[in-house]
Amino acid sequence: MEYLLPTLREKREVDSLIRDTLDKVLVLRFGRSSDAVCLQLDDILYKSARDVSRFATVALVDVDSEEIQVYVKYFDITFIPSTVFFFNAHHMKMDSGSADHTKWVGTYMRKQDFIDVVEAIYRGAMKGKLIVSCPLPPERIPKFQLLYKDL
Amino acid sequence: MNQKKKKNSNEQQQFEYCEVCRLNQNQGRRHNYFPNHKTSLATLLTRFQSKLTDVKFFLKTPMLLRPEHAHQNRLWCPFCSCDILELDSHFACGNAIEHLASVEHWKSVKGFMWKYGGGMDRLDLFRISEVDYAKWEKKCRSLKTEASKVKSVVPVVEPLNNIHNELNADCVNSFQENNVNVLNFSVTNGVVPLHSYTNERAQVSGSVLSSLSEAGPSLHNMSGGIQVRHAEYLKNSTDYMENRHCSNSLARESSSCGYLTSGSVYPGVRIANGEDISLGFPKLTQISSTSQEGIEGNVHTGAPPPWFDATKGNKPDLAWKPELRGHVSSKAGKSSKLNQRRVGAAWAERRKLELELESKGGHVNNNFDANWLPNFGRVWQSGTRKESRKEFQAENKATHKADHQSEMLMPLQPYISKRMRKDASE
Repeated sequence: MEYLLPTLREKREVDSLIRDTLDKVLVLRFGRSSDAVCLQLDDILYKSARDVSRFATVALVDVDSEEIQVYVKYFDITFIPSTVFFFNAHHMKMDSGSADHTKWVGTYMRKQDFIDVVEAIYRGAMKGKLIVSCPLPPERIPKFQLLYKDL
Repeated sequence: MNQKKKKNSNEQQQFEYCEVCRLNQNQGRRHNYFPNHKTSLATLLTRFQSKLTDVKFFLKTPMLLRPEHAHQNRLWCPFCSCDILELDSHFACGNAIEHLASVEHWKSVKGFMWKYGGGMDRLDLFRISEVDYAKWEKKCRSLKTEASKVKSVVPVVEPLNNIHNELNADCVNSFQENNVNVLNFSVTNGVVPLHSYTNERAQVSGSVLSSLSEAGPSLHNMSGGIQVRHAEYLKNSTDYMENRHCSNSLARESSSCGYLTSGSVYPGVRIANGEDISLGFPKLTQISSTSQEGIEGNVHTGAPPPWFDATKGNKPDLAWKPELRGHVSSKAGKSSKLNQRRVGAAWAERRKLELELESKGGHVNNNFDANWLPNFGRVWQSGTRKESRKEFQAENKATHKADHQSEMLMPLQPYISKRMRKDASE
């Protein structure tokens, strides 16, 4: 999928993309392209990237590269794929019923789900909200188990 | 007759809080005989008793408590109205057992039963006798010495000969063979699994879990609810879902059941054998193990985000710029229509200006102040609604005054026509 969506491997690239995406939702997928679930998600992202292009930018981030480890640590990414949303250089959170609001873990069940999520985040951000609740019904949100460190 | 009435009315005026019904009543002792009170007392006692069966299981067979499970292992004692935490105890339900055997607990149970009328003959059900306690202590001591001899961290997942477990017993076993490193990881690093969901949507899964424990009363009796839960947490989530699926379909024909399993993250879930599960999982744990080395601030602790630490030549990448430049210029006219209070509006405006400057070849300094992150303050962080309201009103007044003053201070000027002004500026 790397040839279809921009893939970032350096911290500098990620930095500038986050800082320079203005008045648009930035969707960053943290994962690796050898992973099956990541590929599934990438497919959905690629198919809907054009549909949401007026209000969102989609990019992939390779978690294996050295420089990206800063981000992996910062967002506490333990599962791939994890999707993180930004708006105007602010990290956008989403309450999808799981204990982790900072990112979306796993893939989407269909294209429309992803579009709905991005739209909800865009609308929320335009109203000045830093956290939005997930528009999807709970059975279509992938469940995962989170591991807390040093609790 | 009259006196009696008077007495009655006097009694009625004294309000008393009934902890069982959680309401203030002015009926005096009569309240204890109300059907509502009786039913809620009965439910309270049965609920506590069901928790006590768990504790009593551990009383009979003491087990070492791993620190990562300590926070799940706690008990609310309704008689003493206190929470018994197990954070510092070495044995499962250690503090709870100690508490239940204590004299204070005995006293407060008596007091509670006397006050709310639970039947004084049942008192012994809600405590642990000293003989049992002594036995338990002895066992604990022997266990401790054993544990110090043999340092085994392998969890004890007891084989339960139960229909639910028979269904996925082979699945569990194969998982353990395949993902031993996952298991070890969770043990050695003191990782605590998620056990609380944040909103009511996720209670779908919660209710399924509870239906599991309801569906298998034999499962509950076999080894105490807490231990069963531990065993489940030690397995990984796919396994967990499969377990849920099995028990659920056994318990009732749930229509959403198939949906749940198909809605899982990992494609291997639908086929419940270890090989498929191992396909998605080891990678996930690898990632977490790499990030485990240096735990600095992260998004949960509110550390400064990495995209703002402009250290070495944080010049925006030119590869991204052409697209952005077009984007900026096309939106330049539109930006006034956008909500001024949208997220990061200030940042967007500043950044747009910077980008424009950069495109002209100007120099931009990349420092940002500490309060770029919005501070909600007030009720969101501390204080009551009332306090924050007062605070707000005081502030509002102050700003109003300031506004007035500034209006007053505005120097009076003779009227200058717009055309004149334009000419002057030119």
